[in-house]
Amino acid sequence: MQAMADEVKKNVRRIALGLLGVLVILFGYLSYIQVIEGEALAANSLNRRSAQSGMQIERGKILDRNGKVLAFSERQPDGQYVRRYPYGAVLAHVVGYSNSSYGNTGIESRFNRDLSGIKNPWRVLGPLANLWNSKAGNNVVTTIDAELQTIAYRALGNRRGAVVALNPKTGAILAMVSKPSFNPEDVDTEWKILVNDPESRLLNRAVQGLYPPGSTLKVMVAEAALREKVTDTKQLFTCEGTWKIGKDYELSESHHQAHGKVNLEDALAVSCNITFGKLTVQLGPKRFAEAFTRFGFDRPTGLEIGDAPSELPDFNRLSEGELAQTGIGQGSLLVTPLRMAMIAAAMANQGNIMTPYLVTEINAPDGSQMETYSGKLLLTATSPELAQIVSKMMVSVVDRGTGSAAGLGRGSVAGKTGTAENPHGEPHAWFIGFAPVDNPQIAVAVILENSGYGGAEAAPVARQIFAGALR
Amino acid sequence: MEIMAKHGAEVKLLVLPGLMLLAGIGAVSLAIGKIDSLVLGIAAALAVSFVAVHYLLMWIGRHGDPFLLPIASVLAAIGLIFVFRLKPELFIMQALWVWSGLIAFILAAAVGKRVESWADYKYIWGAVGLILLLVTALFGVEIGGNKNWLIIGPIHLQPSEFAKLFIVLFFAAYLSERRELLAYDTKKIGPLVVPHQRVLAPLLAVWGIAMLMLAIERDLGAAFLFFGTALLMLYMASGRYSYLIWGGGMFSMGAFAVYALYPHVRPRIDTWLNPWADPNGAAFQVVQSLFALGSGGVLGSGLGYGFPNLIPEVHTDFIFSAIGEEMGLLGSGAVLLLYITLVYRVFRIALVAKTVFNVILAGGLAALLGLQILVIVGGVTKFMPLTGVTLPFVSYGGSSMVGTFVLLGLVFALSEVGASDG
Repeated sequence: MQAMADEVKKNVRRIALGLLGVLVILFGYLSYIQVIEGEALAANSLNRRSAQSGMQIERGKILDRNGKVLAFSERQPDGQYVRRYPYGAVLAHVVGYSNSSYGNTGIESRFNRDLSGIKNPWRVLGPLANLWNSKAGNNVVTTIDAELQTIAYRALGNRRGAVVALNPKTGAILAMVSKPSFNPEDVDTEWKILVNDPESRLLNRAVQGLYPPGSTLKVMVAEAALREKVTDTKQLFTCEGTWKIGKDYELSESHHQAHGKVNLEDALAVSCNITFGKLTVQLGPKRFAEAFTRFGFDRPTGLEIGDAPSELPDFNRLSEGELAQTGIGQGSLLVTPLRMAMIAAAMANQGNIMTPYLVTEINAPDGSQMETYSGKLLLTATSPELAQIVSKMMVSVVDRGTGSAAGLGRGSVAGKTGTAENPHGEPHAWFIGFAPVDNPQIAVAVILENSGYGGAEAAPVARQIFAGALR
Repeated sequence: MEIMAKHGAEVKLLVLPGLMLLAGIGAVSLAIGKIDSLVLGIAAALAVSFVAVHYLLMWIGRHGDPFLLPIASVLAAIGLIFVFRLKPELFIMQALWVWSGLIAFILAAAVGKRVESWADYKYIWGAVGLILLLVTALFGVEIGGNKNWLIIGPIHLQPSEFAKLFIVLFFAAYLSERRELLAYDTKKIGPLVVPHQRVLAPLLAVWGIAMLMLAIERDLGAAFLFFGTALLMLYMASGRYSYLIWGGGMFSMGAFAVYALYPHVRPRIDTWLNPWADPNGAAFQVVQSLFALGSGGVLGSGLGYGFPNLIPEVHTDFIFSAIGEEMGLLGSGAVLLLYITLVYRVFRIALVAKTVFNVILAGGLAALLGLQILVIVGGVTKFMPLTGVTLPFVSYGGSSMVGTFVLLGLVFALSEVGASDG
């Protein structure tokens, strides 16, 4: 009996070792899941925990420069908070949305830590991290002028496009519109429609939309040509309506009319393609590329919510014809509306480009200031003298040229129109400019997709924005 | 003298679960910001009960292994804290289940003294186990994805929790009696040894039951537990690896057939192989469970500060993930170590038992417990396919609580028989 039991025990011992061994391996696997895989699992976008914890505290408000509420959290009977956006679609792309299922965008995303009040998400602290959580998030004060924003939003009407308006002296964004838009409160119910939208309503065209700049680029080419002494303000160019470059290329005016004998100021005012094509060819790829670098096209703008980098051609590989095309803002060059607003701002601010920014203050719920931000110099694109000269030429564009529809009385507005050919149909209508000329308060870029001529379509929109800003 | 020292250890250890329970209930109450005096009163009464069980056992003259009851009580206390945190309305019921479990433990420990003589009634145990399973298969109702519930008036039962014990009892008696036949009266097919038909019959019967459970009740977990335990016991009795291979092959074939025939078994395997293919559909539970464990990290979010309720059925099958989220690896690892210690203790009791029947019975119960831990903890961590079994002593539910305490009571009795003989 004893011997039999001993033999059975030998078998039991083997089973015990095997089973306990597997359980010890399971222990190791559990440690792996919780510690090594843990970071990734906690951060997984499908993990709703951080969003859920966000719904339990009152998220901070987002305010415009005059204290108007752009976003706030409303307490529900069940104790959870729901995000409200009083300006709805008007500010959807700048303010963004904060959604428990679909995450955050815009300022809601970039300043999520301040707004959510969850300042210390350090996992290693474990339960101690709860000590850092507050009952309410901080308020974020923006540079946006909600009234001007509404004016710009209405001015675009039902057309696709974007507006960027900023203070050229500080870089503060006053208005940023992208159309078509969406209501951030409807993200939950309309998510499927929004993500599959052929018109890309979720896209912030003002900073993420890439377009050929068209003739608005001539402002920069004029500056480069004067700086590099390729021409001066007095030289006369002859425009015969068309210009054959090499074998394959022919540059022509948009209305096929010859501008005759024009100086640089006249050429900008009438937007003479042939003059600027020739100037670009004379600049050559190296000096033309340097102009893009001087105006900061090859570096980030530093805007808090991010922006799409410009798509610049490889200048050294461009043929003469392609170089001329790029000089009038056509070809493979693609830029955002924000970039073009910054060119106008450079001329308005004595050649200095300020870093564009959206947020001026972060305040605690009790009103005490926690952080402040102010204008920072991004780069110096050109000299005050050259900026002055180009600005004067831009005034002529509005006073007696293609941009007359943007005018607010003689000598008050400087600008440049653009009509960018593109493969998607009608040309994009552009306008960039600033006002008032003697003491610039606002610089803008307006683009209307596939709408036609910049002077006819975009300039009137810019005029409404200038009028609104200088009210 | 030795017995006195043992008693001292047990009674000291039994103070722990009560203190843990009160501290845990207090922490959860503070996190919610509401203190319920009824809940605190029940917790205090439970704390006293854990210690009282020890004196009741002394009073009826039972002196078994001093670690079994403290480990089970600590696990039950953790379960009570988490049931209160996850589903506060179920706390009182769970407290009743724990009391029922403690009483069942004492009863099992008391009657278990005669466990030796139970071997004679093996066919009765086998029949009872079989009837319980058949009744469930025929009249079972589906709750929470498993069709293994029996509803009699107001009582909801999971008979398989008790059937397991009867089947283990039957097998221990049957195998200890026919040990020699199994080990020596064999034929050979190639390199593999085939047992005599008379031995094969009950094994085939258990295999049939397991397949039935799989097909009718969708209960992959229970089927695996039954068959796995039977197979491990067969090895204990015979010492022949080829039986494990035969059995494993038969189960795999059967499982594959069911996988091919029944579409509802399929998602469980598919989601195990790749849960990220459908994280919001079939794999929702496993993915949510992994999120909970990952978010918990080493120290956890703190009791009441996590979001374990994002996992469906978190208070029953997924309670382990909730522990991992709010107590971190420190909590979940401690629970797993407690189980490993418990399984180790039960195996140790098997190894010091005096008769073949007692060795195989204790070994079988240890295997059953160990496999159940493997299946549920492995399931919620994606270590193996997820199958619905409870986390013993911790998950919400009466059948599992009482059934597992009966198992432990029997082991307690077996430990005493072994010790007093030595």
